[in-house]
This record gives sequence, C-alpha cells and structure tokens, in this order.
Amino acid sequence: MPVPRFTVGTAVQVLDLPIEGHIRIPAYARGKIGVIERCCGPYLNPEDLAYGRTGGPAVHLYQVEFSQHDLWPEYIGDAEDRLFLEIYEHWLTPARPPSWRQAS
Amino acid sequence: MSAERGAGAYLGTKVLLDREEGGPAGYYALLSDALRDELIGLGLITAAQVRREVERLEAPGIHLGARIVARAWMDPEYKALLLENGSEAAERLGIKVGEAQLVVVENTPRVHNLITCTLCSCYPRSILGQPPAWYRNKVYRARSVSEPRKVLEEFGTHLPADIVIHVRDSNADMRWMVLPRRPDGTSDWSEERLQGLVTRDSLIGIAEALQP
Amino acid sequence: MAQRGYHDIGGAPAGRFLPTDEPWHFWEKQSEAIRNLLGEGARRMASLDEIRRGFETMGEDLYGQLTFYERRLEALVRILEEKGIVSRADLEARVVAMRERESG
Repeated sequence: MPVPRFTVGTAVQVLDLPIEGHIRIPAYARGKIGVIERCCGPYLNPEDLAYGRTGGPAVHLYQVEFSQHDLWPEYIGDAEDRLFLEIYEHWLTPARPPSWRQAS
Repeated sequence: MSAERGAGAYLGTKVLLDREEGGPAGYYALLSDALRDELIGLGLITAAQVRREVERLEAPGIHLGARIVARAWMDPEYKALLLENGSEAAERLGIKVGEAQLVVVENTPRVHNLITCTLCSCYPRSILGQPPAWYRNKVYRARSVSEPRKVLEEFGTHLPADIVIHVRDSNADMRWMVLPRRPDGTSDWSEERLQGLVTRDSLIGIAEALQP
Repeated sequence: MAQRGYHDIGGAPAGRFLPTDEPWHFWEKQSEAIRNLLGEGARRMASLDEIRRGFETMGEDLYGQLTFYERRLEALVRILEEKGIVSRADLEARVVAMRERESG
C-alpha cells in the first residue's frame, strides 16, 4: 500500500474526472478547494466495487473540509460554516490554501 | 397509482403499486417474497437465514446511541476515545459497528453538526437502525447541505446566531453520529437518566438533546 | 467531466422540509435482509455499491417514482439478473401466481 499522498492541513482541489459510471463524489464539490481534516486510511474504490471488482487496489480516503461560501455562491450563514466530505485520493490534487485557512 | 412506465410494466398484467394500508399487496412487496422464494429454491439462502437477518436489522436503535452519548457525557476519557475512534468506543460498550467506520462529532457552544447523505441515504444503521423517512427524502438530501440553517429552522430547531454549522455529507465509507451537548441542570444525573435525554434527532443533529 | 447523476441532488432546488416518518414494512426489511445475506463474504453476489449503481442506472423516471426501499429492491433484482443469478421472468411468474392466490 503506498503512503498517503496528503497530510492533515494540506489544501486540495477536488478534480472533475471524466469517469463514466458509479462515483461517490457529489457534483457540488467537483473543482472546489478544501483542506484535509483527517486521513481515513485505505478503502476499496467504489468505482470498482460497483462493478463487482473486489480485488482492489485500495485507495486512501480523506475527510476534506470546505467553506460553505465556497460551495454555494448564494450561501446564507456564518463565514465559518463548513461542510465535510470524504474524497478518494485520485480525485484530489494539491492546491493553494483557501483564504479562510490562511486567516486562521 | 398504476405504473405504466415503471417497474410494473414488466408484467403483462396491470400492476398496482398501491401503498395504502389494506390495499392489494404492492408489486414490490410481492417481488420481495418472489425473490426470497427464488433464492431459497436455488439453494443460495434459507428461510431461517432471512428470518435471523431481519431480526438482526430490527435490533439496533436509538437506545444504543443514547448509551454511547450518556457514557461520553459522564466520562471524559471515554469521550476522548469516542471522538478519536467511534467504532472502538462503541465496541467497548458491547455495541458492534457493522459499517466501515463510525465517526462521532461533538456539538459545542460554538459548533453545531448536522449529518446528511445527498447521494443516497447513508446512516449508521448498525447502531441507530433505520433512518427516518425525511432523512431519505429528496428535500432533506437536497437542502441540508446548501441551506442547513433554514432546514433546521423548518424542523423547529433555532440555533443562536453565533453558532456555526458543520454539515457532514456521508458520501463514502465513514458513518457519522453527533455527540449532542449535555443539557444544563443535569450535573447530578445518573448515566441511565441522561440516556433519556438523547433522541434520534439529536444524534443526526437536526435537533438538540431534550432539556430536562 | 463526470456527469451529474439524477441521484446526485445536493444543493438542488427542493420544497419545504416536512419532517415525516413512515413505518418500516416487513417486505422492506426482508429485501434488505436478502441483500445483506447476498453481500456476505462467502456469497459476494451483490455489494452496496452495486445496488447504488443499480438505482443510478434504472432511469430517472423510475427512480423518481419509487420509494427508497422499492428502489433498492428494484436495483437488487437488476444486479442479480445482470449476473445471471435470477431471471426477471421467473420472478414475475411468481408475482403473478401470488396475485392469483391473493384474489382467488
């Protein structure tokens, strides 16, 4: 198992991969920038499991923190309101830290 | 409702997708029996296995979540373990977590957590059992992520203005549960009595724990 | 770009939130029980991700028409049929026979 590519606190952007078929990355998060909150460890990829491929490889999964105002242009709420998603490693790429993370 | 375009169209006869109590058994209720009988006939499952599995599905419930929460309210060391590794903490109380991982998030005077699943209806079923119908329906799935405060208010939960909301969309392998705030005025309560303040809604974060 | 499936509704417009609940019917529990049994280690015939793929590909009309547990059972039948484990025609014949017994 390769070591996790990202560590807690790293800024990441969610990719918009051209995958057809079953995926677990909601459309509203694709292209958005967040920060790794927790490394969950390796899990089998649902993009394989959905087609009966149970032999792996496992992929690292991360909890990623997003600012609600980054996700929803018309969001009404506190500047510190957050949304958390789990994203598999191949959907993430390094990014510049979002402004809300630089400030804190 | 008839299902001209729906699954009923597979049948040559008119199929009723009637969900009224006392009406003819709905297509899917019969399909469930048909599938059970077919799989038993193929030797893949047995009737006893199905019955036992139904009992296993019925066993979990809010009482298990309430036990975990009340223990965390009483015991800071247990609470630390619970927030670090939810599955291990649950198992310490003899509660087996069937999902990949249970993650418990804490409500504080500053942060209120709300659990949802926009893609389907993921929920810590092995602990809390069946999610309520509203959790599975479109309105909650669609709006809980983008308008959490409004959804909470429509539910009747009015949070102070200085509280921030953390939404957890259960989109992959983690299953989330909220550790609600311990209500004021309960410092001399027993663990058992505290369990009575923990509701299903407070474990999802759509409400707070009951006030004594 | 990955497509946005009709099940992927986070942030979509929706009506007022009404906290309703419904009883959990026996046939719904039975369907879930069957799925769990088929998903277990030795059998591995229908994983949750396959069920998800099943309801993500049954078409938006049908998905929208069915309740949560109806969708899951419909998806399970489709996955089992895809694998050649059961045939829809055999199941339908059993349904017809049950209806006849019921009305007879």
